[in-house]
Amino acid sequence: MHKTWIVTLETYLRQIKSWSFLFMVIGPFLMIGLTVGISYISANSASSSKEVAVISTSKPLRRAYLRQQTDNLNTRITTVSAAEAAVKKNHLAGYLQLSESHQQIRADYHGSSRMASGLKAQTQNFLQQYQQARNYQQAKLTAKQQRLLARTPVLQQHIAKKAGTANLAKTISFWILVTMIYIILITYASIAAQEIASDKGTKIMEIIFSSTTATSYFVGKIGGILLVILTQIIIYLVGGWAGYQIALNSTAVKPLIAENQSLIDAVLHNLLNLNLVYLFLGVIIYTILAAYSGAVVAKAEDASKAAQPVIMLGMFGFFATFPFQNNLDALFVKILSYVPFFSSYFMPMRIINGTVNGWEQLISLLILLAAIALFAGYIGSQYQRLMLQTDNRSFWQHLLHGWRHQD
Amino acid sequence: MLSIQHISKQFGPVKALNDVSFEVPNGQILGLIGQNGAGKSTTFHSILNFIQYDGTIRWQGKPLSPADFDTIGYLPEERSLMTKLTIEQQIVYLARLKDQSAKDIRPRIDDWLGRFAVKGTRKSRINDLSKGNQQKVQLICTLIHHPKLLILDEPFSGLDPVNADLLKQAILRARDDGAAIIFSSHDMENVSALCDQLVMLRKGDMVLHGTLAEVRNQFGKTELYVTTDWSADRLATLPGVGRVDLRQPGQYLLHLTDPAAGPTIFAELTQGHYIEEFSQQPPTLDEIFRMKVSEDHA
Repeated sequence: MHKTWIVTLETYLRQIKSWSFLFMVIGPFLMIGLTVGISYISANSASSSKEVAVISTSKPLRRAYLRQQTDNLNTRITTVSAAEAAVKKNHLAGYLQLSESHQQIRADYHGSSRMASGLKAQTQNFLQQYQQARNYQQAKLTAKQQRLLARTPVLQQHIAKKAGTANLAKTISFWILVTMIYIILITYASIAAQEIASDKGTKIMEIIFSSTTATSYFVGKIGGILLVILTQIIIYLVGGWAGYQIALNSTAVKPLIAENQSLIDAVLHNLLNLNLVYLFLGVIIYTILAAYSGAVVAKAEDASKAAQPVIMLGMFGFFATFPFQNNLDALFVKILSYVPFFSSYFMPMRIINGTVNGWEQLISLLILLAAIALFAGYIGSQYQRLMLQTDNRSFWQHLLHGWRHQD
Repeated sequence: MLSIQHISKQFGPVKALNDVSFEVPNGQILGLIGQNGAGKSTTFHSILNFIQYDGTIRWQGKPLSPADFDTIGYLPEERSLMTKLTIEQQIVYLARLKDQSAKDIRPRIDDWLGRFAVKGTRKSRINDLSKGNQQKVQLICTLIHHPKLLILDEPFSGLDPVNADLLKQAILRARDDGAAIIFSSHDMENVSALCDQLVMLRKGDMVLHGTLAEVRNQFGKTELYVTTDWSADRLATLPGVGRVDLRQPGQYLLHLTDPAAGPTIFAELTQGHYIEEFSQQPPTLDEIFRMKVSEDHA
């Protein structure tokens, strides 16, 4: 155990200290930071020219408009000449001139381009309400008559709920989860295969196998790679949490979050539960398979070739989920949610959808754990023979030889 | 003591080892000689359980187990280190796998680097070292934990005479500390200088085994070194002389067909007078090696 830990630590530190790990981890943060930064700069540079001034000879009319509508309005400019000058200098997108003549409300927009659709809709809404109030006042209607005239038709949709159908929160959770599994798997399958194959190339294995058992060394290597994966997941979780906190304190994003709070809560709930365990265990079993593939290659340069079967299997699992997003009751989904290598994709789908009970989850998890233990044990027992094989047999010949000679 | 009894190993149709037996007591050095492909590395791989074999190998009376790993020092035939590590990181990592603490090993590194005259500091990257210095670092990794069983596969290959001497000193020191040492070499001079006993393998068969003196004496004192003013042709007429080789002007090596002819040759050659050189010896290890190899080709 002590020597396993030494190998784990050495593998972990070597990976963590590499530039490729640093770029891999900070890459998404850099992308997000860059996108936010560019959006912010672009928003700031455009902020002045997005504003619209409201001009009116009727102070009550202008006040009523400003009470209802505040976004992107310039309240400092109050005259047509000042507004025209500001539009010319590109400090204003335009100005809205409100007027009232013979109980008729009128709005004229002057700008270098058409009104923004949101502002147009809100302005029309304001004009409608204001004109209606004026009309009622003019017609001297009773309160009851006013209520009757204000009555509008109702359109409501009634959708029958189907057990296997995913709603928006489930769909988002599903996509985040399977994409995370897929990306981590693709990335680390190559890393694991390369890590193991590079050992084989150096032949330092003979020295190591005169110091510790092959099983202990193999488990140590896998442990080191898994610690790297865990580190990346933790960095993303902490980074995601920090980003969420920043967003909560941002005046620009806060309303958007508040508007979608229930959706965000539901997605987080779907992700931060047993599904995270499935994600991790799924990555473990694929990493072990990738390491095995790395062990059967003859040269380090063949490592990427060795990782291909693992990547293909991972891709198959990933793409096989697509047709079943809205049909989670299918027998195929139920079966694959118990089959190692696929359960990491299919069981989280069922958990997210709430169509699987605790016992079924436990059985699937135990099958996955047993498969990992058996698989690691088998490869550990074959590892020394595989790593010391240095002939020129092809990848497939090695694979067949590995299965035939399980001594 | 390392005890190897009747080990055999077959790779497909090729018999790599055929009923090989020998022992290496603690505090002794055994040299394993033989041509390329004779079975030297296969013997080492069998001792280390890298391959499955028929026969028995025991270390200190028991089959070698993972519990013994910490007492083994192994230098493989092909040198290889983790090139991205520094010398210190590499030595500490491999020593920790031998159950040594980093705290104990670190203070010893500079002493070992000095002992092997490594050109570089403990912070130098393995990648930046010359091939010879990488080999010396690997030797340090093999020896720094004071192994009780030392297995060295071609340790002298690639070393210049000065560095070969440094390695010899390290091997002798390990022997004096009580280690059982087995090493392979193509250089018979090193084998003669270091070994308490030797084993020669030829195509998996053990064709020679014993101390250096025992092995040489098996062939009789058939080499006669003389310094004389006789001509080669005249020397060839002496009784029991098969062939005459000129070593230097006036110096000859007579190959005897019968070692018992020595006294007769001495009497005829000296005629009761002083002679500068008359030395009757068994063949050198180098000659025995060539003889044994040529037997196979005959």
